[in-house]
Amino acid sequence: MDFQLTEEHELIRNMVKEFVEEHIKPIAAEIDANHRFPSESIAPMAELGLFGFTLPEQYGGNESDSLSYVIASEEIAKVSASHVMILGAQCTLTTPILLKWAHPDIVADLVPSMISGEKLGAFALTEPGAGCDAAAQQTTAVRDGDNYIINGSKIFITNAEQSEVFIVFAMTDKSKGVKGISAFVVERSKTEGFRVGPPEHKMGMHGSHTSEVFLKNCVVPAKNLLGQEGEGFKIAMATLDAGRIGVASMAVGIAQGAMDEALAYIKERVQFGKPIASNQGIQWRVADLATKLEAARLMTYRAAAMKDSGQRFTRESAMAKLYATEVAMEVTTQCVQLMGGLGYTKAFSVERLMCEAKITEIFEGTNEIQRIVIAKHVLG
Amino acid sequence: MPNIIVCYKWVMDDQDIKVNPSTLELTTAGAKYKISEYDKNALEIGVQLKEAHGGSLQVLSFGGANLKNSLKDILSRGADAAFWLADAAADNADAVATAKVLAAAVKKMDPADLILCGDGSADLYSQQVAQRLAVLLDLPVIDNVESLRYENGAWIASRQLRDCVETVSVAGPAVISVLPGIAKARIPGMKQILAAGKKPQNALSLADLGMTADDVQSATKTLSVKGASQQRKNVVIKETSAEASVAALMAALKADGVL
Repeated sequence: MDFQLTEEHELIRNMVKEFVEEHIKPIAAEIDANHRFPSESIAPMAELGLFGFTLPEQYGGNESDSLSYVIASEEIAKVSASHVMILGAQCTLTTPILLKWAHPDIVADLVPSMISGEKLGAFALTEPGAGCDAAAQQTTAVRDGDNYIINGSKIFITNAEQSEVFIVFAMTDKSKGVKGISAFVVERSKTEGFRVGPPEHKMGMHGSHTSEVFLKNCVVPAKNLLGQEGEGFKIAMATLDAGRIGVASMAVGIAQGAMDEALAYIKERVQFGKPIASNQGIQWRVADLATKLEAARLMTYRAAAMKDSGQRFTRESAMAKLYATEVAMEVTTQCVQLMGGLGYTKAFSVERLMCEAKITEIFEGTNEIQRIVIAKHVLG
Repeated sequence: MPNIIVCYKWVMDDQDIKVNPSTLELTTAGAKYKISEYDKNALEIGVQLKEAHGGSLQVLSFGGANLKNSLKDILSRGADAAFWLADAAADNADAVATAKVLAAAVKKMDPADLILCGDGSADLYSQQVAQRLAVLLDLPVIDNVESLRYENGAWIASRQLRDCVETVSVAGPAVISVLPGIAKARIPGMKQILAAGKKPQNALSLADLGMTADDVQSATKTLSVKGASQQRKNVVIKETSAEASVAALMAALKADGVL
């Protein structure tokens, strides 16, 4: 067992750090304060190959491993989790689905433009009445000659406002429950009746917009069906298995970002004649947080390494997501506390990171769902 | 199409070097290494010249036992191949010793039309290697270069001097040391990083260059290395009126001989 990252992993970490320092740090607080999508970050992210993780070279990808993605996601999340929402939607939730399940013509047409950042992708599974219970989908797709007609609506769709390529899940046979769900790729600009609603007002992650999506008599070519009819749920679950590693890595980054800021502060902040970090009560708290964060990181890296080695990783990715996101919530909350009144202000980042941490416990399967997944594997 | 060699140094990251506040001794334990920042700018201008004019771009370094760890990093930044010589003799090498080894190594490489160096190294910053290297190779040297172009087989360089900019040209091979502002080093992307390991890494030894450790003697001897310190006087003026405060400040500055 070797817990060392490769030289390439270290270089990727340095590369992303450098990129974050130059392009993201200067705008991180501003995009959040102004609820602004950082469109200026897309081109430099694409240029560095950040949308090409694990994807084939023939389409412009870099054929790296998933651990490389995890490292990049972690480094960016330290400073701006909103940016990781772009990365995650593109690299874990949409492009890999196209590559694996889409018609070859669609792969050739869309995957290169997703990797180049020319087109952004969004994953549209959740509905007002179908969150964790995907089988309660109300959106329908009815075959009509060479097309499907899709009707329905989706909510909480990350980056819908800026996206062109939507992975839409819809019922093709309601009598079959989850086995009646199918997945489609819907190209927004080519689809009449497709509409994106205004952004939701959220607790945090304001640089990434989350919107409702409406589909009214949308005519989608039959070629846009992903896999076979009825494979939608399987596609969604396989995608979320990998997506959960991404969420875990985002949580690890958020927590580390908060720790870095709080540690610097408590070493400088003098009260009663000494830095507050010299108090044992503070030291023990810091030790606990650092230990939990390290465990979360190791679980996340291991889940990624299992995925890379071709092993089944559903259990490990659910565990990593569950643990890392709860650690992120705890660490960020404690870091706000460690920084006292200043931590509660927008003069520092910990307050923003705390709001960002909360959503990681909820999206891509709430932590309650992760516990169900884990229990299934544990109990057999 | 010019062949370019860029020299670089693998140095301790200064952020990892701690100064003991009482003894001013440096603590370097656990310090990570990185490419000297000045050399990244030299490499970048080399890459830009290669992109504009073709030719080849090789990097060369003389360093300690961990120099190997620099190779993928430097190769991800646009060089075609690396030549590297790791030897314990590098640990205490000054500009005299370093230039001697680099000159011998350059003679083993393909003939270069240009040898680029950073303005100085990020650790010792003696700003002498380029000049000494040129003497040993019997080549012209241009230093303090803030912009550089290649026209009809000649290098045209603008030198930033104290109160003017001097533009000079040199035909044929030359050693040129460049200022950091010459070119902002780009961030290598995923493809460059993953391709770096596949590029040629040519290990050299002192024996390959016909040298022994005795040939790599430094001309200078380091007696001690200490952190710089700034003593604060912590004088607090607590007068109640602005006039009295100014008067007290003036008196204190006069007493110190500042005024």
